[in-house]
Amino acid sequence: MGLVPPLAIALDLQGSARRLAGVFILTLAAGCASFIPQTSELAKSWPPELPKQVELSEVPFFPQLEYQCGPAALATVLVNAGAKVTPEELVPQVYIPERKGSLQVEMLAAARRHGMVSYALAPRFEHILREIAAGTPVIVLQNLGVFNAGWHYAVAVGYDYGPGTLVLRSGTLQRDVLPFATHEMVWMRSGYWAMVAVPPDRIPVTAEENSWLNAIAAFERAGDAQGARVAYKTFLGRWPENLNAHIGLANTHHTLGELSEAAAVLREAARRDPESVVVLNNLAQTLSDLGRNEEALPYIERAAAAGGPFAPAVQKTHETILLRLRGQGSRVERLQ
Amino acid sequence: MKSVWARTLCRILMVLTALSPIQFAQAGMIGTEQVASAASQADRNTVLQFLGRPEVVSQLQSMGVDAARAKDRVAAMTDQEVQQLAGKIQSMPAGADDTGLIILLLVIAGVVWWVWFRR
Repeated sequence: MGLVPPLAIALDLQGSARRLAGVFILTLAAGCASFIPQTSELAKSWPPELPKQVELSEVPFFPQLEYQCGPAALATVLVNAGAKVTPEELVPQVYIPERKGSLQVEMLAAARRHGMVSYALAPRFEHILREIAAGTPVIVLQNLGVFNAGWHYAVAVGYDYGPGTLVLRSGTLQRDVLPFATHEMVWMRSGYWAMVAVPPDRIPVTAEENSWLNAIAAFERAGDAQGARVAYKTFLGRWPENLNAHIGLANTHHTLGELSEAAAVLREAARRDPESVVVLNNLAQTLSDLGRNEEALPYIERAAAAGGPFAPAVQKTHETILLRLRGQGSRVERLQ
Repeated sequence: MKSVWARTLCRILMVLTALSPIQFAQAGMIGTEQVASAASQADRNTVLQFLGRPEVVSQLQSMGVDAARAKDRVAAMTDQEVQQLAGKIQSMPAGADDTGLIILLLVIAGVVWWVWFRR
């Protein structure tokens, strides 16, 4: 096939007769490059900060049973992250018998149930490599079929720039070595879908601020408030200015019954953004739960005056505080 | 061909929407997911109107997942993840096995290896 890389074409442009052929070949090469754009990009310019060769050989291997690459891949990253779980235990959590497979959403959701924060990577090949270089194995969704069947989860655990290969735990292969371009071709069919799962005290190296905060919020929703508290604290270590992370940290404190801590975090947030209706509402609610309703009242009044999308929630908090104040008042009267 | 690309685009969009989930916390406190979501209030209302946790639970059940387990599985999802699944479990990619791998590799490995080596 007439595929010539751009560099060779540039050298070939001396003769005018050759130029025409060069243009023709350039078109072919460009066509090939757009076929596997991310591999071409890596071939042209390797990110300078990336090591040339990495392999996380300590990542465990669970050879998959029939159709169960989802549980096997998930167990691989979860056990590597420190969870105690087997693929067999994950089958009833991610496998759908009638589909004979596992959905992406469930892969993300199930990781949260094992104390790990799951994160869908940006659809970038380079991000897989950066995660591996940082010691984090990456689950990728490939389509190995000729048509639209053949979806397959594998775990990328290493790469080598020299031959341009990715090393994966895949199916029954402990060390499946795929050329970058092959991987891109089977991976792009899933929309370049990839995920990592890390303990709450870590942040994936490619994590983007808002996406990572959403990942923590999803983890919090799954019910591990203690883990979420750690995750928000870690987040604030990296992005101390983020107001929503303050709100999240305060919410986990509140859930765990640590009301004074919640109030302290919210006061700090209120200092950063005195106008935030959410901060005012949650601070008022927390103070009220601490029995300090008089102190809570001015905050909720300010939140109510601001209006906005959270007005119904604010109104509810306002009513609660007024009700509790009246209750306190009548108790005081009874005492006198 | 067109539908393949349309599906690919859909999948990318699904991944992107998975990144901005929504939730409510305990009474009185405005939940983190709800705040963190970049969606406008209008979007938020749309999502809330179409919420389908029970629907997704029963879909999973109908596809062979034990009832109690289906409920636990859906509980670990964000509202937007539930939204993505509602009505689409049959058509979404479900990673299953690695059959086809060998054939596909034989077809393309040589070509792509060559491309990398001539970089």
